[in-house]
Amino acid sequence: MNFEPDDNQAAILDGLEQLITAQKIEPPKHPTFVAFSETLDAELAASGFLDIAREEGFSPLDAALIVERIARLPRCAEVAASALIGPLFPIDALQRPVAVLRGSPLGAARFLPQARSLIVVEDENVSLISVTPDRVVPVESLFAYPYGRLASVEGLAVQRFSRDMVAAVLRRWRLSMAVEAAGLMQAALDTVLEHVKTRKQFGRALGSFQAVQHRLATAASTTNATKWLALRAAWSDEEADCAMAATYAQDAIPLFTYDLHQFCGAMGLTLEFPLHLWTYRLKALLGELGGSGGQARAAADLTWADAA
Amino acid sequence: MEFGWNEDEVRYRDRIRKVLDESLPSDWNEIATHGPGSKPQTEFSKSFCKILAKEGMLIPHWPSAFGGEDGKPWDHFILGEEIWAAGEPRGPQYMNVNWIGPVMMRYATPEQQNRYLPDIVAGNVIWCQGFSEPSAGSDLASLQTRAEKVDGGYVVNGAKVWTSYAGLADHCFLLARTGAGKSGIVILLVPMTSKGIQVKEIDALIGEGDIHELFFDDVFVPEENRLGAEGQAWEIISYALQNERIGIPRYAFARRILNRAIAKLKADGRFDDPVIKDRAGRVLAKCEAARMMVYRVVDERAKGAPPSAFGNLARFSVVQADHAVSDFMLEYMPEGMLGDDPMQQAHHQRAIAAGIASGAAEIQLNLAARRFLDLPSE
Repeated sequence: MNFEPDDNQAAILDGLEQLITAQKIEPPKHPTFVAFSETLDAELAASGFLDIAREEGFSPLDAALIVERIARLPRCAEVAASALIGPLFPIDALQRPVAVLRGSPLGAARFLPQARSLIVVEDENVSLISVTPDRVVPVESLFAYPYGRLASVEGLAVQRFSRDMVAAVLRRWRLSMAVEAAGLMQAALDTVLEHVKTRKQFGRALGSFQAVQHRLATAASTTNATKWLALRAAWSDEEADCAMAATYAQDAIPLFTYDLHQFCGAMGLTLEFPLHLWTYRLKALLGELGGSGGQARAAADLTWADAA
Repeated sequence: MEFGWNEDEVRYRDRIRKVLDESLPSDWNEIATHGPGSKPQTEFSKSFCKILAKEGMLIPHWPSAFGGEDGKPWDHFILGEEIWAAGEPRGPQYMNVNWIGPVMMRYATPEQQNRYLPDIVAGNVIWCQGFSEPSAGSDLASLQTRAEKVDGGYVVNGAKVWTSYAGLADHCFLLARTGAGKSGIVILLVPMTSKGIQVKEIDALIGEGDIHELFFDDVFVPEENRLGAEGQAWEIISYALQNERIGIPRYAFARRILNRAIAKLKADGRFDDPVIKDRAGRVLAKCEAARMMVYRVVDERAKGAPPSAFGNLARFSVVQADHAVSDFMLEYMPEGMLGDDPMQQAHHQRAIAAGIASGAAEIQLNLAARRFLDLPSE
């Protein structure tokens, strides 16, 4: 048991930090619902960080550490699907950015406006559809990810993968949600902590009120529990662990996001205050794969398959 | 990062399970339905802890100079997980080995160590913790029991309440006041046979024989029974509570009880109910989240880092997990509380104390807010 990054992981995180610093990632200067960074996305891909789980001697845990760190940035890039789900496919079969859907290929998907590949998980198989931005209709929403949907799949190249891939993709999808949620929670919490330490009402900092302190301490407990459960799932890469981690994260998102916005008052309802750039990614994750109930039932089935 | 067990740890866990399997009697589940402070568990602990001592599983984490085996922190925690999951057959003696002994090793005089530690090492002594008072629960520093300095010692007057294990205890680890403020608190190691001590059991939701009132009426305590210097008590208490706060791996028992519940729900054909399955999955995630939070704290300790406020966050997650399991069973298996499953009731009785014993959950949040989040005070 070791909760500290090993030398390889420390080197990866150090290199990632250098890339982030060089990118000078700042919150958007103009109010916006979505802050997608094309340059960050391209740099991450070019640097090889997103292929790390394919490399000899590296693992999904190394990829998860990258996903968690990038999720903390105020601008998003397509990282989780590329780094964690992508390596399940042959390297020459999949181009990034990657979008993922369950069921119909015509649903709205995160990062589809940028995507070159759309993974569609059906009950019996997995389809990998080659897409181009001109086939995607952007979808505007409050969610802080770029969303889009295909007008049709006609004429698009589709590769089908066997039933085994269904469980594998669901496993990594759940893992990627949990890991990304951990990073989003940490950044959102940090933003609100800074706010409540400086914002004064009734002559004192908001963060000095016990009613606020208890809920923020609870949020910190939630954030850390999400992170360590997700990283354990990345380490084991087992279906039950991944479902458990996603369950915990999705189950926590409603109260977590409510409390954090609450402590920012009306300021937290505006786009100039950047909190939504993380909380509205969390809220988007809340509804994926059938929501927390879907993950909870999967976790229960997978964990107690042999219980009698 | 590495979240698995090495071969030695796996072997150690297997050995503990084997010893538990071989040494717990067939009626252990019945005994365990009584609280850890009950007469049946306390009496059982005196025979069981001797077996653990013989197997080297009572104080393996203690330094060899005090009879231990210089065991690794992770091994100590694995031992705690397995024993708590089995229903804590050490009864009140878990406290001896987890914090009373370690506190004495650090702060007691050699004479005190010779006097008190051998009985703990032999698994043959019961201590109670004379901390809480009618007006000093979570606000422990406001305690009022007085220790008046007299020739050769102290005369103690006052009352303690909600004191676990007092009914059958041999000694009391007592906090009393010699002056104002935290520096005016003293720790006295008081024989429970001392003249002037009266113990009264309090009927409680958490099981018979578990909590008591303690009255001190001109109780003389020799100076040689004071632990540490006058003015040092708060430092010692803080050290003790750091050990106590995550010392009990409650999630392990909660997870065992949850597994039992799922097996029963499956046998009854109720596990396919999507609502029950949904709730079970959420509760499971809370248990495992608590486990990882506590492991993170143990990892800090294993690396020799000073105690951090992460322990307060971890403790809060443990309380959430314990309550979630209990609430799940209250809602979907109420028959367990109506005589069908005494073990379920035993878990419930432990779970409802999880957020109160050894520092209320809200105190953990206060400490986390100040020390972990660096939030301002009023």
